[in-house]
Amino acid sequence: MPSDLPPPPPPPGGGQGSVDDADPSMAPVEAEAFVQPRRLHPASVVLGIPLIQLIQALIFPLFAGLAAGGRVTLVILAFMAVFGVIARSLDWYHRWFSFDGEVLRVDSGVLSRNHRSLDVARIQQVEIHRGPVQRLFGLATLRVETAGSASEPEVDLRVLPEGDAVALRTAVRVSKARLAAGPAADADVDALAEPERREILRVPMRHVVLASVTGARLLVLPAVIGAAFQFIGQQIGAFMEDWVERAVEAGLTAQEGGWLTAPDWRLITVGAVVAVLLAVAFAAVVGVVRDGNFRIEQVDDDLHVTRGVVSTRESVVPLRRVQLVEVQRNWLRRVLGFSSVRIRSAGGSTGGEGRVSVPLLHDERVDRLLREVLPGVPGIPTLTPHPRNALRRSLVRWLRPALTFVALAWLVPAYVEVLDTGLTPWVRGAALALVPINTVLAVIEFRNLAHGLTPLVVAARQGALSITTTLAPVVKVQAVTSRRNLFQRRLGLTTLHAHVAGPGALVEVLDAGVADAATLHARLTEHAAAPLLPADEEELPVRPVRADTPGSVPGAVAGRSGGGEPETA
Amino acid sequence: MVITWRLFGGLSLLFPLGAASIVGFVLLDQVRWLPALVAAAILVLAVTWYPGARYRRWRWQLTDLALELRYGVLVHRFEAIPYFRVQQIDIERGPVDRLLGLARLQVTTASASGSGSLPGIPEEQAPQVRQELLHRAAEAIGDHTGDVHDAV
Repeated sequence: MPSDLPPPPPPPGGGQGSVDDADPSMAPVEAEAFVQPRRLHPASVVLGIPLIQLIQALIFPLFAGLAAGGRVTLVILAFMAVFGVIARSLDWYHRWFSFDGEVLRVDSGVLSRNHRSLDVARIQQVEIHRGPVQRLFGLATLRVETAGSASEPEVDLRVLPEGDAVALRTAVRVSKARLAAGPAADADVDALAEPERREILRVPMRHVVLASVTGARLLVLPAVIGAAFQFIGQQIGAFMEDWVERAVEAGLTAQEGGWLTAPDWRLITVGAVVAVLLAVAFAAVVGVVRDGNFRIEQVDDDLHVTRGVVSTRESVVPLRRVQLVEVQRNWLRRVLGFSSVRIRSAGGSTGGEGRVSVPLLHDERVDRLLREVLPGVPGIPTLTPHPRNALRRSLVRWLRPALTFVALAWLVPAYVEVLDTGLTPWVRGAALALVPINTVLAVIEFRNLAHGLTPLVVAARQGALSITTTLAPVVKVQAVTSRRNLFQRRLGLTTLHAHVAGPGALVEVLDAGVADAATLHARLTEHAAAPLLPADEEELPVRPVRADTPGSVPGAVAGRSGGGEPETA
Repeated sequence: MVITWRLFGGLSLLFPLGAASIVGFVLLDQVRWLPALVAAAILVLAVTWYPGARYRRWRWQLTDLALELRYGVLVHRFEAIPYFRVQQIDIERGPVDRLLGLARLQVTTASASGSGSLPGIPEEQAPQVRQELLHRAAEAIGDHTGDVHDAV
């Protein structure tokens, strides 16, 4: 609410003609084309809902139908198909969108109508997504996000003809640029229509493969493999069962006593190696499909991020909306000298729409990317390490779960007889092994704790296995929180959070020294209260400090929560 | 406010502590009553000592840049919410608050985690505090007619 409204934009038609003249290829598709409300592409009757949702919606009735048997199944399926098509057609018929150069409107709903208007100035991120089927028919999905949308994109236009999607995005961009430049920009419209395109980064395919092979997804691979096997099992179920049974039988006859009681280590080793190889291959394929052809371009003041092989995804993040940049290096990538970088804007619907991840980047190129993404920032600032006392906290953090595990491993089987099984010694051994491992990790983590503040960014580093350096432009800091628990108070440490817009988006400075943290807190608060863009800095070096007015509202300026007795600060 | 905290602290702990005691009682063989005893001790502390300590720790003030909150017994927290970043201010009054004539001010910024809550303001003062905050927020934005007129 307090963020004041942008200056009224010039009427949408003003200067539009010159846009058309300047770039004939865009001529028929500028904002004017969208002034009249339109429908989506008729294909959205079928393609308008994501495939996964479609499957989810179909699967239960399908099984119910199958269970009921032949003719009933057909009737049910036919009924569902007809009903679905009618419902989707009605939805398509009643869904309109328009864009008048200022506000994006979407009207939808058959029974309860829903009107949504979105101010151009509020848009955080625009994304064009083309699935495989959509690409086949030259269609695309356009997603628009604003700050504060929690779970779903603010506007999801699915599906549009590809040309329209691109045109609408261009129209939005031109309007935004015009807004940003103010009413005087009419003369510059020619310049706006011819955007300056510059490639910032292209991730070669082998890096994408490397990224997926060294990525965190490898850690969840057992689950993936399990699911894959389940899937395969369903496909060729009977055959597999037969085969497995025969194999088991062979194993049982080959070895007296069978392999359930005495595991054959050779078999387990081979199985494990095959599983790991499969996992790596699978990760590589998934990674390439998702992140292949990764490219970042700068178009005017926006970052255009394109990725995907089968389905392409093109996100536009305005540079001024970048809230947070995370440089992540897990241990494997550290060894190889690579990092991955995540760029977050406030348009944060969950599922990573609000962020853009660069899968893999040579360490020495990180600073170069940072310079592009955070204009004026020369790279990761020099970071101050944290005081020695923080090591004790690191140790506590890492050893506490390990020791808890040890204690549980000894106490639980001792007191709860049901859980005292043959596995107990194994569990106890694993628990003991955790202690030295976690000690080493704690030391590594302490060595990596650091933070830094420049006039432009606040940065903090933490992590043991995977080290993350988080940077946020100081002009984006919304609020600052310092917290000190009992132990931190004794050790003279403070954990500081600098919050930026977006769900869970913050820079965490873990266990900094008290004095350092206090300075950081004060300076960040100042920055947040009086954000200055780099350009302004020379003109407005010091913001005039308003005289505080204690007592102008009795009891309200300072107080004690709950009592209300005034207490001047 | 102390009364409210007493009430809610006690009530909200009742269920998890009760569950823990029962689980302990069922699963353990020798020290069945220990979990229940510990739970009871925690409950007594939560009702008698904690609310008072929490109240004594709570401080807030309006500086010339930000709304600052200091609170927390076990974990000391110090929050600063600059007026320029304030997006929304709500006054909330639950049933108990209404009985006791209190109100809670909810100050929201663009960051969900960076928003603050000011409990236990006497209800006749709450609108004034809110007015003052809004006034300062408006003033802070008024100072920034330049490039940064959008706080997000």
